[in-house]
Amino acid sequence: MIARDRNWLLIFAACVALAIIYPFFVGGYQLTVIRDALIFGLFAASLDFFWGRTGILCFGHAAFFGIGGYIMALITLNDAISFASLLGIIGAVAGAALVSAIIGYFLFFGGIRGSYFTIVMLAMGVICQQAAVSWSSVTGGDSGLIGIPPIAFDVGGLHVDLSQDLPSYIFVSAIVAVTVLALWSISRGRWGTVLTAIQDNEVRAAALGHNAPLRLLVTFVLSAAIAGLAGALYVCMAGLVAPDLSGLLLSTEVIVWVAVGGRGTLLGPVLGAIFIQRAQQTISSFNPSLWPLLLGCVFVIIVFVLPDGILSIYARLKALFKGGRRAQ
Amino acid sequence: MSDILLQAENVGIRFGGLQALEALNLTVRDKELCCIIGPNGAGKSTFLNVLTGTLRPTSGSVRFLGHDIAGLPLHRIARLGIARKFQIPSVFPSLSVEDNVKVARWGAPSPVRPVGELLELVALSNRAATPAGELAHGQKQWLEIGMALAIEPRLLLLDEPTAGMTPQETLATADMLLRLKGEFSIVAVEHDIRFVRALNCETLVLHQGRRLRSGPFHDIETDEMVRDVYLGRR
Repeated sequence: MIARDRNWLLIFAACVALAIIYPFFVGGYQLTVIRDALIFGLFAASLDFFWGRTGILCFGHAAFFGIGGYIMALITLNDAISFASLLGIIGAVAGAALVSAIIGYFLFFGGIRGSYFTIVMLAMGVICQQAAVSWSSVTGGDSGLIGIPPIAFDVGGLHVDLSQDLPSYIFVSAIVAVTVLALWSISRGRWGTVLTAIQDNEVRAAALGHNAPLRLLVTFVLSAAIAGLAGALYVCMAGLVAPDLSGLLLSTEVIVWVAVGGRGTLLGPVLGAIFIQRAQQTISSFNPSLWPLLLGCVFVIIVFVLPDGILSIYARLKALFKGGRRAQ
Repeated sequence: MSDILLQAENVGIRFGGLQALEALNLTVRDKELCCIIGPNGAGKSTFLNVLTGTLRPTSGSVRFLGHDIAGLPLHRIARLGIARKFQIPSVFPSLSVEDNVKVARWGAPSPVRPVGELLELVALSNRAATPAGELAHGQKQWLEIGMALAIEPRLLLLDEPTAGMTPQETLATADMLLRLKGEFSIVAVEHDIRFVRALNCETLVLHQGRRLRSGPFHDIETDEMVRDVYLGRR
Protein backbone atom coordinates (compact mmCIF):
# COMPACT_ATOMS: atom_id res chain seq x y z
CA MET A 1 0.00 0.00 0.00
CA ILE A 2 1.45 3.35 -0.93
CA ALA A 3 1.88 6.07 1.69
CA ARG A 4 -0.83 8.32 0.28
CA ASP A 5 -3.46 5.59 0.62
CA ARG A 6 -2.32 4.76 4.15
CA ASN A 7 -2.53 8.40 5.18
CA TRP A 8 -6.02 8.68 3.75
CA LEU A 9 -7.19 5.60 5.66
CA LEU A 10 -5.62 6.93 8.87
CA ILE A 11 -7.43 10.25 8.54
CA PHE A 12 -10.64 8.42 7.67
CA ALA A 13 -10.31 6.19 10.75
CA ALA A 14 -9.65 9.25 12.92
CA CYS A 15 -12.79 10.94 11.57
CA VAL A 16 -14.89 7.83 12.20
CA ALA A 17 -13.52 7.59 15.76
CA LEU A 18 -14.34 11.24 16.30
CA ALA A 19 -17.87 10.70 14.98
CA ILE A 20 -18.33 7.77 17.36
CA ILE A 21 -17.24 9.58 20.53
CA TYR A 22 -18.89 12.89 19.61
CA PRO A 23 -22.38 12.00 20.99
CA PHE A 24 -20.86 11.37 24.45
CA PHE A 25 -19.81 14.99 24.73
CA VAL A 26 -22.64 17.02 23.28
CA GLY A 27 -26.38 17.36 23.63
CA GLY A 28 -29.19 16.68 21.18
CA TYR A 29 -29.18 20.05 19.45
CA GLN A 30 -25.46 19.95 18.69
CA LEU A 31 -25.93 16.45 17.32
CA THR A 32 -28.60 17.57 14.86
CA VAL A 33 -26.38 20.44 13.75
CA ILE A 34 -23.49 18.13 12.96
CA ARG A 35 -25.89 15.60 11.42
CA ASP A 36 -27.22 18.16 8.94
CA ALA A 37 -23.66 19.31 8.23
CA LEU A 38 -22.71 15.69 7.51
CA ILE A 39 -25.55 15.39 4.98
CA PHE A 40 -24.17 18.41 3.16
CA GLY A 41 -20.76 16.78 3.54
CA LEU A 42 -22.11 13.75 1.66
CA PHE A 43 -23.40 16.11 -1.01
CA ALA A 44 -19.95 17.72 -1.23
CA ALA A 45 -18.31 14.29 -1.52
CA SER A 46 -20.66 13.44 -4.40
CA LEU A 47 -19.58 16.56 -6.30
CA ASP A 48 -15.94 15.83 -5.53
CA PHE A 49 -16.24 12.30 -6.90
CA PHE A 50 -17.08 13.82 -10.28
CA TRP A 51 -15.19 17.11 -10.22
CA GLY A 52 -12.11 15.78 -8.46
CA ARG A 53 -11.64 12.82 -10.78
CA THR A 54 -12.69 14.25 -14.13
CA GLY A 55 -11.64 17.86 -13.67
CA ILE A 56 -15.03 18.90 -15.07
CA LEU A 57 -16.88 21.30 -12.79
CA CYS A 58 -20.62 20.78 -12.39
CA PHE A 59 -22.08 24.17 -11.45
CA GLY A 60 -25.60 22.87 -10.91
CA HIS A 61 -25.10 19.94 -8.62
CA ALA A 62 -27.84 21.21 -6.29
CA ALA A 63 -30.29 20.28 -9.06
CA PHE A 64 -29.75 16.61 -8.16
CA PHE A 65 -29.86 17.37 -4.44
CA GLY A 66 -33.22 19.10 -5.02
CA ILE A 67 -34.59 16.35 -7.27
CA GLY A 68 -33.76 13.79 -4.59
CA GLY A 69 -35.36 15.99 -1.95
CA TYR A 70 -38.60 16.57 -3.86
CA ILE A 71 -39.01 12.90 -4.82
CA MET A 72 -38.48 11.87 -1.20
CA ALA A 73 -40.98 14.48 -0.02
CA LEU A 74 -43.66 13.52 -2.56
CA ILE A 75 -43.36 9.80 -1.79
CA THR A 76 -43.32 10.09 2.01
CA LEU A 77 -46.14 12.67 2.06
CA ASN A 78 -48.39 10.29 0.11
CA ASP A 79 -50.33 8.23 2.66
CA ALA A 80 -51.26 5.58 0.11
CA ILE A 81 -47.64 4.40 -0.20
CA SER A 82 -46.36 1.87 2.30
CA PHE A 83 -42.68 1.49 3.10
CA ALA A 84 -42.54 5.14 2.09
CA SER A 85 -39.13 5.91 3.62
CA LEU A 86 -37.27 3.15 1.82
CA LEU A 87 -39.16 3.68 -1.43
CA GLY A 88 -38.51 7.40 -1.11
CA ILE A 89 -34.76 6.90 -0.78
CA ILE A 90 -34.71 4.50 -3.72
CA GLY A 91 -36.89 6.85 -5.78
CA ALA A 92 -34.72 9.85 -4.93
CA VAL A 93 -31.53 8.06 -5.94
CA ALA A 94 -33.09 6.64 -9.09
CA GLY A 95 -34.68 9.95 -10.08
CA ALA A 96 -31.44 11.91 -9.75
CA ALA A 97 -29.60 9.15 -11.61
CA LEU A 98 -32.13 9.13 -14.44
CA VAL A 99 -32.11 12.90 -14.95
CA SER A 100 -28.31 13.01 -14.86
CA ALA A 101 -28.11 10.06 -17.28
CA ILE A 102 -30.33 11.82 -19.83
CA ILE A 103 -28.52 15.17 -19.60
CA GLY A 104 -25.11 13.52 -19.31
CA TYR A 105 -25.69 11.30 -22.33
CA PHE A 106 -26.25 14.24 -24.64
CA LEU A 107 -23.45 16.32 -23.13
CA PHE A 108 -20.71 13.69 -22.92
CA PHE A 109 -21.45 11.88 -26.16
CA GLY A 110 -21.95 15.26 -27.84
CA GLY A 111 -18.40 16.20 -26.90
CA ILE A 112 -19.34 18.93 -24.40
CA ARG A 113 -16.53 19.36 -21.88
CA GLY A 114 -14.89 21.91 -19.64
CA SER A 115 -16.47 25.32 -19.20
CA TYR A 116 -19.29 24.50 -21.64
CA PHE A 117 -20.38 21.65 -19.41
CA THR A 118 -20.16 23.94 -16.39
CA ILE A 119 -22.40 26.52 -18.07
CA VAL A 120 -25.00 23.97 -19.20
CA MET A 121 -25.18 22.58 -15.67
CA LEU A 122 -25.51 26.11 -14.30
CA ALA A 123 -28.58 26.55 -16.50
CA MET A 124 -29.81 23.12 -15.45
CA GLY A 125 -29.75 24.20 -11.79
CA VAL A 126 -31.69 27.35 -12.61
CA ILE A 127 -34.26 25.34 -14.58
CA CYS A 128 -34.78 22.92 -11.69
CA GLN A 129 -35.25 25.72 -9.20
CA GLN A 130 -37.66 27.48 -11.54
CA ALA A 131 -39.62 24.28 -12.09
CA ALA A 132 -39.90 23.80 -8.34
CA VAL A 133 -41.25 27.34 -7.97
CA SER A 134 -43.66 27.24 -10.91
CA TRP A 135 -45.12 23.73 -10.68
CA SER A 136 -46.87 24.66 -7.47
CA SER A 137 -49.65 22.04 -7.66
CA VAL A 138 -47.02 19.34 -7.08
CA THR A 139 -44.07 21.09 -5.48
CA GLY A 140 -45.90 23.62 -3.33
CA GLY A 141 -44.30 26.51 -5.21
CA ASP A 142 -42.18 29.06 -3.38
CA SER A 143 -43.07 27.81 0.08
CA GLY A 144 -42.27 24.19 -0.75
CA LEU A 145 -43.67 21.17 1.08
CA ILE A 146 -43.73 20.82 4.85
CA GLY A 147 -44.42 18.04 7.31
CA ILE A 148 -42.16 15.42 5.78
CA PRO A 149 -41.99 12.58 8.32
CA PRO A 150 -38.66 11.30 9.67
CA ILE A 151 -37.29 8.13 8.13
CA ALA A 152 -38.79 4.97 9.63
CA PHE A 153 -38.66 1.42 8.31
CA ASP A 154 -38.29 -2.22 9.33
CA VAL A 155 -35.42 -4.38 8.18
CA GLY A 156 -35.62 -8.06 9.13
CA GLY A 157 -37.53 -7.47 12.35
CA LEU A 158 -35.36 -4.49 13.33
CA HIS A 159 -37.41 -1.33 13.61
CA VAL A 160 -35.53 1.78 12.55
CA ASP A 161 -37.06 5.05 13.67
CA LEU A 162 -35.07 8.20 13.06
CA SER A 163 -37.35 10.69 14.78
CA GLN A 164 -34.89 10.95 17.69
CA ASP A 165 -31.64 12.89 17.52
CA LEU A 166 -29.17 10.13 18.35
CA PRO A 167 -30.50 7.42 15.98
CA SER A 168 -30.70 9.88 13.11
CA TYR A 169 -27.15 11.05 13.82
CA ILE A 170 -25.86 7.46 13.83
CA PHE A 171 -27.79 6.59 10.65
CA VAL A 172 -26.47 9.62 8.75
CA SER A 173 -22.89 9.16 9.99
CA ALA A 174 -22.91 5.51 8.94
CA ILE A 175 -24.23 6.32 5.46
CA VAL A 176 -21.68 9.10 4.98
CA ALA A 177 -18.80 6.90 6.18
CA VAL A 178 -19.77 3.93 4.01
CA THR A 179 -20.41 6.08 0.92
CA VAL A 180 -17.17 8.04 1.24
CA LEU A 181 -15.20 4.82 1.74
CA ALA A 182 -16.89 3.24 -1.30
CA LEU A 183 -16.29 6.28 -3.50
CA TRP A 184 -12.68 6.36 -2.38
CA SER A 185 -12.07 2.72 -3.23
CA ILE A 186 -13.64 3.24 -6.65
CA SER A 187 -11.61 6.33 -7.39
CA ARG A 188 -8.21 5.07 -6.25
CA GLY A 189 -8.36 1.90 -8.33
CA ARG A 190 -8.58 1.26 -12.02
CA TRP A 191 -11.68 3.40 -12.50
CA GLY A 192 -10.04 6.49 -11.02
CA THR A 193 -6.74 5.97 -12.83
CA VAL A 194 -8.48 5.82 -16.20
CA LEU A 195 -10.50 8.93 -15.30
CA THR A 196 -7.26 10.75 -14.49
CA ALA A 197 -5.93 9.63 -17.86
CA ILE A 198 -9.07 10.94 -19.58
CA GLN A 199 -8.66 14.22 -17.72
CA ASP A 200 -5.04 14.45 -18.88
CA ASN A 201 -5.76 13.65 -22.50
CA GLU A 202 -9.13 12.31 -23.55
CA VAL A 203 -8.25 11.68 -27.21
CA ARG A 204 -5.24 9.65 -26.19
CA ALA A 205 -7.26 7.58 -23.73
CA ALA A 206 -9.80 6.88 -26.48
CA ALA A 207 -7.03 5.90 -28.88
CA LEU A 208 -5.97 3.31 -26.31
CA GLY A 209 -9.41 1.72 -26.44
CA HIS A 210 -11.18 3.46 -23.55
CA ASN A 211 -14.76 4.58 -24.07
CA ALA A 212 -14.22 7.99 -22.47
CA PRO A 213 -17.76 9.44 -22.83
CA LEU A 214 -19.30 6.34 -21.26
CA ARG A 215 -16.89 6.40 -18.36
CA LEU A 216 -17.53 10.10 -17.74
CA LEU A 217 -21.28 9.47 -17.96
CA VAL A 218 -21.26 6.63 -15.43
CA THR A 219 -19.15 8.70 -13.04
CA PHE A 220 -21.53 11.63 -13.43
CA VAL A 221 -24.62 9.46 -12.85
CA LEU A 222 -23.08 7.92 -9.73
CA SER A 223 -22.20 11.39 -8.46
CA ALA A 224 -25.75 12.67 -9.12
CA ALA A 225 -27.32 9.59 -7.49
CA ILE A 226 -25.40 10.26 -4.27
CA ALA A 227 -26.37 13.94 -4.42
CA GLY A 228 -29.98 12.70 -4.70
CA LEU A 229 -29.47 10.47 -1.67
CA ALA A 230 -28.12 13.42 0.31
CA GLY A 231 -31.15 15.50 -0.74
CA ALA A 232 -33.53 12.74 0.36
CA LEU A 233 -31.83 12.43 3.75
CA TYR A 234 -31.83 16.17 4.24
CA VAL A 235 -35.56 16.77 3.66
CA CYS A 236 -36.45 13.99 6.10
CA MET A 237 -34.23 15.49 8.79
CA ALA A 238 -35.37 19.06 8.14
CA GLY A 239 -39.02 18.08 7.66
CA LEU A 240 -39.44 20.40 4.68
CA VAL A 241 -38.39 20.87 1.09
CA ALA A 242 -38.11 24.20 -0.74
CA PRO A 243 -36.93 25.42 -4.17
CA ASP A 244 -33.70 26.73 -2.58
CA LEU A 245 -32.48 23.14 -2.32
CA SER A 246 -31.85 23.04 -6.06
CA GLY A 247 -30.81 26.66 -6.28
CA LEU A 248 -27.72 28.49 -7.43
CA LEU A 249 -26.66 29.42 -3.89
CA LEU A 250 -26.41 25.80 -2.77
CA SER A 251 -24.63 24.88 -6.02
CA THR A 252 -22.06 27.58 -5.28
CA GLU A 253 -21.71 26.64 -1.62
CA VAL A 254 -21.01 23.00 -2.41
CA ILE A 255 -18.23 24.08 -4.77
CA VAL A 256 -16.72 26.15 -1.99
CA TRP A 257 -16.90 23.21 0.43
CA VAL A 258 -15.09 20.99 -2.04
CA ALA A 259 -12.53 23.67 -2.86
CA VAL A 260 -11.85 24.39 0.81
CA GLY A 261 -11.67 20.73 1.79
CA GLY A 262 -9.48 19.77 -1.12
CA ARG A 263 -10.65 18.61 -4.50
CA GLY A 264 -10.06 14.94 -5.22
CA THR A 265 -9.72 13.87 -1.58
CA LEU A 266 -13.40 12.94 -0.95
CA LEU A 267 -12.86 13.21 2.80
CA GLY A 268 -11.73 16.82 2.61
CA PRO A 269 -15.01 18.08 1.13
CA VAL A 270 -16.96 16.45 3.98
CA LEU A 271 -14.73 18.22 6.49
CA GLY A 272 -14.93 21.41 4.44
CA ALA A 273 -18.73 21.30 4.54
CA ILE A 274 -18.79 20.81 8.32
CA PHE A 275 -16.14 23.43 8.95
CA ILE A 276 -17.67 26.11 6.74
CA GLN A 277 -21.20 25.61 8.03
CA ARG A 278 -19.93 25.89 11.59
CA ALA A 279 -18.08 29.08 10.68
CA GLN A 280 -21.19 30.37 8.94
CA GLN A 281 -23.30 29.91 12.07
CA THR A 282 -20.73 31.54 14.33
CA ILE A 283 -20.12 34.52 12.07
CA SER A 284 -23.79 35.04 11.23
CA SER A 285 -24.52 35.29 14.93
CA PHE A 286 -22.38 38.46 15.09
CA ASN A 287 -23.69 39.99 11.92
CA PRO A 288 -25.82 38.19 9.31
CA SER A 289 -24.57 40.27 6.38
CA LEU A 290 -20.92 39.53 7.15
CA TRP A 291 -21.05 35.90 5.98
CA PRO A 292 -21.48 36.23 2.19
CA LEU A 293 -18.61 38.73 2.13
CA LEU A 294 -16.32 36.42 4.08
CA LEU A 295 -17.35 33.38 2.05
CA GLY A 296 -16.35 35.16 -1.15
CA CYS A 297 -12.99 36.21 0.30
CA VAL A 298 -12.26 32.71 1.61
CA PHE A 299 -13.06 31.27 -1.81
CA VAL A 300 -10.70 33.65 -3.58
CA ILE A 301 -7.93 32.99 -1.06
CA ILE A 302 -8.33 29.22 -1.35
CA VAL A 303 -8.21 29.33 -5.13
CA PHE A 304 -5.06 31.43 -5.18
CA VAL A 305 -3.12 30.26 -2.13
CA LEU A 306 -4.30 26.70 -1.42
CA PRO A 307 -5.72 25.28 -4.65
CA ASP A 308 -5.53 21.78 -3.15
CA GLY A 309 -7.57 22.69 -0.07
CA ILE A 310 -6.91 22.85 3.66
CA LEU A 311 -5.79 19.23 3.87
CA SER A 312 -2.84 20.17 1.66
CA ILE A 313 -1.34 22.38 4.40
CA TYR A 314 0.05 19.26 6.06
CA ALA A 315 1.59 17.98 2.82
CA ARG A 316 3.04 21.41 2.14
CA LEU A 317 4.57 21.67 5.61
CA LYS A 318 6.06 18.21 5.19
CA ALA A 319 7.53 19.16 1.83
CA LEU A 320 8.90 22.33 3.42
CA PHE A 321 10.64 20.39 6.20
CA LYS A 322 11.96 17.77 3.81
CA GLY A 323 13.26 20.48 1.52
CA GLY A 324 14.92 22.17 4.50
CA ARG A 325 16.62 18.98 5.57
CA ARG A 326 17.93 18.28 2.11
CA ALA A 327 19.38 21.75 1.90
CA GLN A 328 21.53 21.23 4.99
CA MET B 1 -2.86 -12.63 -50.29
CA SER B 2 -4.40 -13.43 -46.92
CA ASP B 3 -1.50 -11.88 -45.04
CA ILE B 4 -2.48 -8.36 -46.07
CA LEU B 5 -3.21 -6.39 -42.94
CA LEU B 6 -3.82 -2.89 -44.14
CA GLN B 7 -4.65 -1.85 -47.64
CA ALA B 8 -5.04 1.72 -48.80
CA GLU B 9 -6.32 1.97 -52.34
CA ASN B 10 -6.28 5.05 -54.50
CA VAL B 11 -6.56 7.30 -51.45
CA GLY B 12 -7.13 10.96 -52.13
CA ILE B 13 -8.13 13.74 -49.82
CA ARG B 14 -9.12 17.26 -50.61
CA PHE B 15 -9.34 20.13 -48.12
CA GLY B 16 -11.37 22.76 -49.91
CA GLY B 17 -9.29 23.68 -52.96
CA LEU B 18 -6.21 21.84 -51.77
CA GLN B 19 -5.60 18.33 -53.00
CA ALA B 20 -3.63 17.14 -49.93
CA LEU B 21 -3.26 13.54 -51.06
CA GLU B 22 -3.74 12.02 -54.47
CA ALA B 23 -3.99 8.42 -55.67
CA LEU B 24 -1.93 6.85 -52.89
CA ASN B 25 -1.68 3.10 -52.52
CA LEU B 26 -0.12 1.26 -49.61
CA THR B 27 -0.22 -2.39 -48.70
CA VAL B 28 1.07 -3.48 -45.32
CA ARG B 29 1.53 -7.21 -44.84
CA ASP B 30 1.45 -8.99 -41.53
CA LYS B 31 4.62 -8.42 -39.46
CA GLU B 32 6.06 -6.10 -42.10
CA LEU B 33 8.00 -2.94 -41.28
CA CYS B 34 7.71 -0.01 -43.62
CA CYS B 35 8.44 3.69 -43.63
CA ILE B 36 6.77 6.67 -45.18
CA ILE B 37 9.15 9.54 -45.76
CA GLY B 38 9.00 12.88 -47.46
CA PRO B 39 9.87 16.52 -46.89
CA ASN B 40 7.74 18.75 -44.66
CA GLY B 41 4.28 19.28 -46.08
CA ALA B 42 4.42 16.17 -48.25
CA GLY B 43 1.24 14.85 -46.64
CA LYS B 44 2.84 12.22 -44.38
CA SER B 45 0.80 12.99 -41.29
CA THR B 46 -2.38 13.43 -43.31
CA PHE B 47 -1.82 10.02 -44.89
CA LEU B 48 -1.25 8.51 -41.45
CA ASN B 49 -4.47 10.12 -40.23
CA VAL B 50 -6.28 8.46 -43.10
CA LEU B 51 -4.64 5.11 -42.31
CA THR B 52 -5.83 5.30 -38.69
CA GLY B 53 -9.35 6.25 -39.70
CA THR B 54 -9.08 9.70 -38.11
CA LEU B 55 -9.60 11.38 -41.46
CA ARG B 56 -12.07 10.09 -44.02
CA PRO B 57 -10.54 10.09 -47.51
CA THR B 58 -12.53 11.95 -50.17
CA SER B 59 -11.73 9.18 -52.63
CA GLY B 60 -10.43 5.63 -52.33
CA SER B 61 -10.64 3.37 -49.31
CA VAL B 62 -8.66 2.10 -46.34
CA ARG B 63 -9.33 -1.46 -45.23
CA PHE B 64 -7.90 -3.14 -42.17
CA LEU B 65 -8.34 -6.93 -42.24
CA GLY B 66 -11.10 -6.33 -44.77
CA HIS B 67 -13.02 -3.76 -42.67
CA ASP B 68 -13.47 -0.24 -43.93
CA ILE B 69 -12.20 1.83 -41.00
CA ALA B 70 -12.90 5.38 -42.21
CA GLY B 71 -14.84 7.34 -39.62
CA LEU B 72 -14.99 4.65 -36.92
CA PRO B 73 -14.78 5.98 -33.35
CA LEU B 74 -11.22 6.05 -31.98
CA HIS B 75 -11.68 3.39 -29.34
CA ARG B 76 -13.19 0.96 -31.88
CA ILE B 77 -10.19 1.39 -34.16
CA ALA B 78 -7.89 0.75 -31.22
CA ARG B 79 -9.76 -2.44 -30.42
CA LEU B 80 -9.39 -3.68 -33.98
CA GLY B 81 -5.67 -3.81 -33.25
CA ILE B 82 -4.33 -0.53 -34.60
CA ALA B 83 -2.09 1.36 -32.22
CA ARG B 84 -0.92 4.83 -32.95
CA LYS B 85 1.89 6.89 -31.53
CA PHE B 86 1.31 10.57 -32.02
CA GLN B 87 3.90 13.03 -33.26
CA ILE B 88 3.75 15.15 -30.11
CA PRO B 89 4.30 12.84 -27.15
CA SER B 90 0.92 12.54 -25.50
CA VAL B 91 1.46 10.51 -22.40
CA PHE B 92 -0.68 11.14 -19.32
CA PRO B 93 1.54 13.60 -17.40
CA SER B 94 -0.12 13.25 -13.99
CA LEU B 95 0.04 9.46 -13.95
CA SER B 96 3.19 7.50 -13.16
CA VAL B 97 5.03 5.71 -15.97
CA GLU B 98 3.64 2.42 -14.68
CA ASP B 99 0.06 3.74 -14.53
CA ASN B 100 0.39 5.05 -18.07
CA VAL B 101 1.18 1.55 -19.27
CA LYS B 102 -1.59 0.12 -17.08
CA VAL B 103 -4.18 2.48 -18.58
CA ALA B 104 -3.01 1.38 -22.01
CA ARG B 105 -3.27 -2.30 -21.04
CA TRP B 106 -6.76 -1.88 -19.58
CA GLY B 107 -7.97 -0.46 -22.87
CA ALA B 108 -6.80 -3.53 -24.75
CA PRO B 109 -9.23 -6.31 -25.61
CA SER B 110 -6.75 -9.04 -24.65
CA PRO B 111 -3.49 -7.80 -23.16
CA VAL B 112 -0.73 -10.39 -23.10
CA ARG B 113 2.51 -8.79 -22.01
CA PRO B 114 2.70 -7.89 -18.29
CA VAL B 115 3.45 -4.27 -17.35
CA GLY B 116 6.98 -5.15 -16.25
CA GLU B 117 7.87 -6.66 -19.62
CA LEU B 118 6.46 -3.66 -21.49
CA LEU B 119 8.57 -1.29 -19.39
CA GLU B 120 11.57 -3.50 -20.05
CA LEU B 121 10.99 -3.37 -23.82
CA VAL B 122 11.06 0.41 -23.88
CA ALA B 123 13.93 0.72 -21.35
CA LEU B 124 11.88 2.45 -18.65
CA SER B 125 11.91 -0.18 -15.89
CA ASN B 126 13.85 2.07 -13.55
CA ARG B 127 11.42 4.98 -14.02
CA ALA B 128 8.20 3.08 -13.22
CA ALA B 129 7.12 5.33 -10.33
CA THR B 130 8.09 8.63 -11.99
CA PRO B 131 5.21 10.87 -13.09
CA ALA B 132 5.24 10.73 -16.88
CA GLY B 133 5.23 14.53 -17.04
CA GLU B 134 8.75 14.55 -15.58
CA LEU B 135 10.33 12.25 -18.18
CA ALA B 136 12.85 13.54 -20.69
CA HIS B 137 11.48 14.07 -24.17
CA GLY B 138 13.00 10.92 -25.65
CA GLN B 139 11.76 8.81 -22.77
CA LYS B 140 8.23 10.13 -23.29
CA GLN B 141 8.41 8.93 -26.87
CA TRP B 142 9.49 5.49 -25.67
CA LEU B 143 6.75 5.42 -23.08
CA GLU B 144 4.31 6.13 -25.90
CA ILE B 145 5.68 3.19 -27.85
CA GLY B 146 5.37 1.05 -24.71
CA MET B 147 1.74 2.13 -24.35
CA ALA B 148 1.08 1.36 -27.98
CA LEU B 149 2.55 -2.13 -27.43
CA ALA B 150 0.31 -2.70 -24.42
CA ILE B 151 -2.75 -3.07 -26.58
CA GLU B 152 -1.00 -5.96 -28.40
CA PRO B 153 -1.54 -4.32 -31.77
CA ARG B 154 -1.54 -6.06 -35.11
CA LEU B 155 -0.37 -2.78 -36.57
CA LEU B 156 1.67 -0.03 -34.95
CA LEU B 157 1.61 3.38 -36.63
CA LEU B 158 4.34 5.78 -35.55
CA ASP B 159 4.13 9.45 -36.39
CA GLU B 160 7.65 10.88 -36.39
CA PRO B 161 8.84 8.67 -33.54
CA THR B 162 12.20 10.39 -33.33
CA ALA B 163 11.04 14.02 -33.50
CA GLY B 164 13.18 16.05 -31.11
CA MET B 165 15.45 13.15 -30.20
CA THR B 166 19.23 13.29 -29.97
CA PRO B 167 21.10 11.19 -32.60
CA GLN B 168 21.83 8.52 -29.94
CA GLU B 169 18.18 8.34 -28.92
CA THR B 170 17.17 8.12 -32.58
CA LEU B 171 19.41 5.12 -33.14
CA ALA B 172 18.27 3.52 -29.88
CA THR B 173 14.67 3.92 -31.09
CA ALA B 174 15.53 2.29 -34.41
CA ASP B 175 17.10 -0.63 -32.50
CA MET B 176 13.97 -0.91 -30.40
CA LEU B 177 11.79 -1.13 -33.50
CA LEU B 178 14.08 -3.68 -35.15
CA ARG B 179 13.77 -5.85 -32.03
CA LEU B 180 9.97 -5.57 -32.24
CA LYS B 181 9.88 -6.28 -35.95
CA GLY B 182 8.39 -9.70 -36.59
CA GLU B 183 5.90 -9.39 -33.73
CA PHE B 184 3.51 -7.12 -35.60
CA SER B 185 3.44 -4.72 -38.53
CA ILE B 186 4.96 -1.29 -38.09
CA VAL B 187 4.45 1.77 -40.24
CA ALA B 188 6.67 4.71 -39.35
CA VAL B 189 6.31 8.19 -40.75
CA GLU B 190 9.64 10.00 -40.57
CA HIS B 191 11.71 12.68 -42.11
CA ASP B 192 14.92 11.83 -40.29
CA ILE B 193 16.83 9.92 -42.96
CA ARG B 194 19.33 8.42 -40.50
CA PHE B 195 16.50 6.71 -38.69
CA VAL B 196 15.07 5.23 -41.88
CA ARG B 197 18.52 4.15 -42.96
CA ALA B 198 18.96 2.31 -39.65
CA LEU B 199 15.64 0.53 -40.21
CA ASN B 200 16.50 -0.28 -43.84
CA CYS B 201 12.99 -1.38 -44.85
CA GLU B 202 10.35 -0.91 -47.53
CA THR B 203 9.94 2.81 -48.00
CA LEU B 204 7.31 5.02 -49.59
CA VAL B 205 8.42 8.50 -50.53
CA LEU B 206 5.76 11.19 -50.65
CA HIS B 207 6.10 14.54 -52.32
CA GLN B 208 3.31 17.10 -52.53
CA GLY B 209 0.69 14.51 -51.64
CA ARG B 210 1.73 11.99 -54.28
CA ARG B 211 3.85 8.89 -54.42
CA LEU B 212 7.29 9.83 -55.63
CA ARG B 213 9.02 6.45 -55.27
CA SER B 214 8.58 3.27 -53.34
CA GLY B 215 10.80 0.29 -52.73
CA PRO B 216 13.57 -0.98 -50.45
CA PHE B 217 15.47 1.83 -48.73
CA HIS B 218 18.83 1.29 -50.42
CA ASP B 219 17.15 1.79 -53.84
CA ILE B 220 15.40 4.90 -52.55
CA GLU B 221 18.55 6.35 -51.08
CA THR B 222 20.41 6.21 -54.35
CA ASP B 223 17.51 7.63 -56.36
CA GLU B 224 18.35 10.97 -57.97
CA MET B 225 14.78 12.24 -57.89
CA VAL B 226 14.44 11.56 -54.14
CA ARG B 227 17.71 13.31 -53.47
CA ASP B 228 16.58 16.32 -55.45
CA VAL B 229 13.34 16.56 -53.50
CA TYR B 230 15.09 16.21 -50.17
CA LEU B 231 17.71 18.76 -51.06
CA GLY B 232 14.97 21.10 -52.26
CA ARG B 233 16.06 21.13 -55.88
CA ARG B 234 12.53 20.41 -57.07
